[in-house]
Amino acid sequence: MREVVEKVDLAFEVNGDSVRLAVSPDATLAEALRDDLELNGTKTGCEEGECGACSVLLDGKVVNSCLVLALECGGKSVVTIEGLAREGRLHPMQEAFVNHGAIQCGYCSPGMIMTAYALRLENASPTEAEVRRALEGNLCRCTGYRKIIDAVLSLNNGESRHD
Amino acid sequence: MIKTSGDTGTVNKRGTDQESLIGGRIPKLDAPEKAVGLTRYLDDIKLPRMLYGKILYADRPHARVVDIDTSPAAAMYGVRAVITAADIELVRFGFGSDNTALKGEKVTCIRDEIAAVAADTPEIAGEAVKRIRVTYEDLPVVATIEEALASGAPVIHEGAPNNVPFRFDYDHGDIDEGVSQSDVIVEDTFSSQRVAHCCLGTSGLIAHFGPDGRLTLHSLTQVPFLYKHDLSRIVGVPPEKIRVIQPPIGGGFGSKLDVHPFEPICVFLARATGRPVRMVFTREEEFFATPTRQPMVIQLRSGAKRDGTFTFRDVRMTLDNGGRTSWGATTPWISMRTFSSLYRVPHVRQHVDVIYTNNIYACAFRGYGNPQATFALESQIDKLAHELGMDPLDIRLKNAQEPGETTGQGMVLGTCGLADCLKTAAHNAGWDVKHSGPQKPVGKSRRVRGLGMASLFHVGGGAKIYRSDGCGTILQIDDFGGVTVQTGASEIGQGSETVIAQIVAEELGLPIENIRVVNNDSDLKPWDVGVHASRTTFIAGNSALRAARQAKGKLLVAAAEKLNREPDELDLAKGNVVDRETGEPIESIGKVLRGMHFGRKNEMIQATEFYEPPSKMPDEGHKGDISACYAFGTHVAEVEVDLDTGVVRVLGISAAHDVGRVINQLGIEGQIEGGIAQGIGYTLTEEVKVEGGRVVNPSFTDYKLVTTHEVPELKLEFIETHDPAGPHGAKGVAEAPLVPVAPAIANAVYNATGVRMTDLPLTPERVLAKLNESREAERGATDG
Amino acid sequence: MSAMKMYQAPRTLEEVMRAAGETGATIFAGGTDLMPRWSKEIVPRPAAVVDIKAIEGLSGIEVTDGEICIGACTLMSGLDESAALRRAAPILAEAASRIACPQIRNRATLGGNLCNASPAADTAVPLIALDAVVDVAAPGRAGATSREVSITDFFQGPGKTALEPGEVLTRVRFKRPAAVATWAWEKFGTRPAMEIAVASVGVIVEASDGVIERARVAYGSVAPTPLRGHGAEAALVGRRLTDETIGGCVAAARGEISPISDVRASAGYRREMVGVMLRRMLEDARGG
Ligand SMILES: Cc1cc2nc3c(=O)[nH]c(=O)nc-3n(C[C@H](O)[C@H](O)[C@H](O)COP(=O)(O)OP(=O)(O)OC[C@H]3O[C@@H](n4cnc5c(N)ncnc54)[C@H](O)[C@@H]3O)c2cc1C
Ligand code: FES
Ligand code: FES
Repeated sequence: MREVVEKVDLAFEVNGDSVRLAVSPDATLAEALRDDLELNGTKTGCEEGECGACSVLLDGKVVNSCLVLALECGGKSVVTIEGLAREGRLHPMQEAFVNHGAIQCGYCSPGMIMTAYALRLENASPTEAEVRRALEGNLCRCTGYRKIIDAVLSLNNGESRHD
Repeated sequence: MIKTSGDTGTVNKRGTDQESLIGGRIPKLDAPEKAVGLTRYLDDIKLPRMLYGKILYADRPHARVVDIDTSPAAAMYGVRAVITAADIELVRFGFGSDNTALKGEKVTCIRDEIAAVAADTPEIAGEAVKRIRVTYEDLPVVATIEEALASGAPVIHEGAPNNVPFRFDYDHGDIDEGVSQSDVIVEDTFSSQRVAHCCLGTSGLIAHFGPDGRLTLHSLTQVPFLYKHDLSRIVGVPPEKIRVIQPPIGGGFGSKLDVHPFEPICVFLARATGRPVRMVFTREEEFFATPTRQPMVIQLRSGAKRDGTFTFRDVRMTLDNGGRTSWGATTPWISMRTFSSLYRVPHVRQHVDVIYTNNIYACAFRGYGNPQATFALESQIDKLAHELGMDPLDIRLKNAQEPGETTGQGMVLGTCGLADCLKTAAHNAGWDVKHSGPQKPVGKSRRVRGLGMASLFHVGGGAKIYRSDGCGTILQIDDFGGVTVQTGASEIGQGSETVIAQIVAEELGLPIENIRVVNNDSDLKPWDVGVHASRTTFIAGNSALRAARQAKGKLLVAAAEKLNREPDELDLAKGNVVDRETGEPIESIGKVLRGMHFGRKNEMIQATEFYEPPSKMPDEGHKGDISACYAFGTHVAEVEVDLDTGVVRVLGISAAHDVGRVINQLGIEGQIEGGIAQGIGYTLTEEVKVEGGRVVNPSFTDYKLVTTHEVPELKLEFIETHDPAGPHGAKGVAEAPLVPVAPAIANAVYNATGVRMTDLPLTPERVLAKLNESREAERGATDG
Repeated sequence: MSAMKMYQAPRTLEEVMRAAGETGATIFAGGTDLMPRWSKEIVPRPAAVVDIKAIEGLSGIEVTDGEICIGACTLMSGLDESAALRRAAPILAEAASRIACPQIRNRATLGGNLCNASPAADTAVPLIALDAVVDVAAPGRAGATSREVSITDFFQGPGKTALEPGEVLTRVRFKRPAAVATWAWEKFGTRPAMEIAVASVGVIVEASDGVIERARVAYGSVAPTPLRGHGAEAALVGRRLTDETIGGCVAAARGEISPISDVRASAGYRREMVGVMLRRMLEDARGG
């Protein structure tokens, strides 16, 4: 059990804003985001790295926020699903998910979108095989993945590349 | 008409070039909010002063409870209530009336709920339940059906001294006659495993009593009105004082059709503390403390004449019911319909024994007893074809139901696209070329390929298992053409909200953006039986359509009066009242509405509808026209089997479904694709493994869902049979796509290897064992 | 009742060893083995953790003509994406690339994979085949001292390594395989991704004029530790890759492993799969 322990200061950047918080040393990044910052878009489906629902970017790399200690993020930059839309407009990846029917219950969607977003930061026009590999750690029980893969591929210069 | 799912990139909304919304690719209305992470699911909701609930499970399969000492938990700082069976009124519930919220005397499975805590934080609650000391007297564990039926077996529930709480029987025709007409008879035993729903969002509830004694629940239930009724009895709050709010849920698939013990427990904690209590399951709890799909053993014997005509089918099903009863025990009622009615067969008998054991238990799960039955039936039909030297496609076509038939079980098939489904799925899969004899290895490798097919039959227009299978709609239009549709239907991610909005927008000639669907609060929405039996598009769709038609009628009358025309000369389109003949816009709908409101008559447009489908409750012999229409479909799977490892890879699935009419192409494709992926998991990798009553793989590490890599090439086609009873001709399809996946794959494995798999899942280890067995047998044959 | 009261991320090895040695802090690298165990309460959370990722010089891949040297905190994604490693020792890059998924590979470290000492650790098998050694920093009287442990001695049982309390694995080193060497590594699981190996096999062989001069074989998930296949190696060296040699090698492999039955697979199936993988690798190596 986690007894009440003294909280420790944490300063980091979330979605471009600098944030200061006091967290307990055992808090995960997912907990800090959800419980302290009310960034509930980040979901938890397993808390052991198996489902990807909690995926966020940590210094530009996609990670499972359930497997990161909040205190590890001191001085680092975190991007969550709430950080993608600009001026009330969906990010193209979010729009692609909406328009391709890649969202059903939506519980996996924030993690999926963040993972796909991270892929495209490194690879502007991934092949279908690359998309499948990038999303291999994100479970979805509703869609069967086809429309998710199609949504990601649709951003390749507006058309998909099959291989 | 046949529609093909082609390019998936285009979006049609009213106001663009597409005239009709029906059949368009309409993105889900709730998708943008989900895409930006603003949707609040149950575990995102916090109420003021909310406490966190946690349950102590027995963690032993069979025992007597001797003593419970809660004092170490109660003494902890931050613990606000600890309850056991002694603190509540024990009302029996569940289909077998063999469950109570907490168990005080006897434990019959590891997940039995013994005590519960409400505390300031989830961590304190978690620690507190660990400190509760329970003394048990262990009893001999009944781990299998055989042990349960052995003479002198321990009795699990006193009401069932032989451990057989239920038996069900069905028959039509006369088996003996069927046997005597048969030229071939085959017999097999098929078994299927427990699988978990694996909703990405886990189970949970927030319960909260107001000062007036009203109980408010933030619940994930799929059946809010039945739930209110059932829960009311268990917790002793009158139904009219219960409000059910349904936040968006992280997946349903049948898991939320029953009242689960944690729900009254959470209510009792709220009552004990006078504060809101939230309970959200961990993934591990989700695996061992929520019900699974019903595992079944099916002994099947069937016969055919030399020309392939089916003669009879004799079914014996044995169900491991586990230690308590949820809906799992009743799933054979749906199995029955497939055995009796997917194909024409004059003589059918089914006997079911439901057996208590000390295992975990089962509830409803997408397909409801149908995937198990279809696995057995469609595998055996393949075998019959083989025995008769017939093409598996031909034997199915020969016996396929046709429109206008009444099946042996009394179901009236108004429309039936089965033959089209069979031909289309086979054609798209290249059946003629690829399905011929044992397949050759791929290149020089030790992998072989094969094709297999299977069809399905499922209710498509609701299922009248209660006296009403209806759904209400309340529709109101504001002064500007904004429409609020209060529907009884619940949204569980399947997209019903969008379908309802489409239907209403289409009828009223308004853009879909003008439609708001309210579907998540029992204080606001009219009655509905719930989301199950693939009924929502059909029933709620019909209800909404009729309400919209009423509203349209009123609008046209008002417009006609204002414009000095006759109502039947007018129509609604693109936000306007138009001339029916020419389509010319005459006046905006908003203007007509404001004219009604502020003019002489002071009228607003409101419409209410309660739609009850023309189906009938089955009689005592399970016969009757239970649904307003029926869905059919066929899948053809192409697989590659590694002869050295037993690994089965699904390369492609060609699916054709009789959906009546496509209302939302994007939504229906999503249902089919999702169902296929669940079906592949069911067939190949998923299993909740239970040993000695204990779940040994309660995590995603060892409970293997399919990932992005396993999605095969998909070819989907929709056979539009335009059912006259459906809204715009549509039938329900939500459950259907999962149903035929397992037999299609198993038949493809047979086609590839000559080995018939009869036990699910087809794990590499199991497939390899069968392959080795058949090699041994061959060797024996050549040696001897 | 346990609670984590302290998290620190020092910059020097000395501080890590002090924290780990004196206060018993748990060494924390990527946390991908530690955190799930804590959240599932398989082990209690430690009172203190010491994160080693901020220590300079503990991550990175150095490839020289003779040797490859990899820092303990190098990520799996780093191994996967390193063009130099792909050229010099592709067998290790390949194994790293097949661990879990991008999210895990962006966190999981090579040192963590080894120190966790799972029989299924995917990088252990290629490292055994590469005859790797690990450098261990030990707290000494005058600062840190370093010792070298061969990879096979490093693993002592499930979850058990040759590390003493307070010691830190700093580096993994191995000789660059000969350019002529052929290699193969495969893990068997029921899914293509997100799989803990049911069994895995790694092979490196060097042949001259068709005769095998040097062979290394290693297995994962079929013994209490990742295992070197001395018997299988002996069945290869000095022989040509004929059907008979391959058969002999497979038989030796099946004999020297000691798999168990568990929720993932039976012992018999694991043994079978080791044989199948090894046979296929050798047949591929023969070229065909
Ligand atoms: C979802 C999931 C999937 C996984 N799949 C795989 C897989 O396919 N294959 C596989 O092999 N593994 C897999 N793992 C396990 C894990 O990711 C790897 O073992 C990983 O490499 C561990 O590294 P880490 O840095 O995260 O270790 P940590 O969790 O930080 O540490 C692991 C152990 O090593 C100790 N330790 C770490 N670094 C050092 C050091 N330098 N010196 C001394 N002690 C140290 C720690 O104290 C701890 O005891 C998986 C894990 C998860 C959660
Ligand atoms: S919650 Fe983090 S991976 Fe599932
Ligand atoms: S949309 Fe429900 S889990 Fe992916």
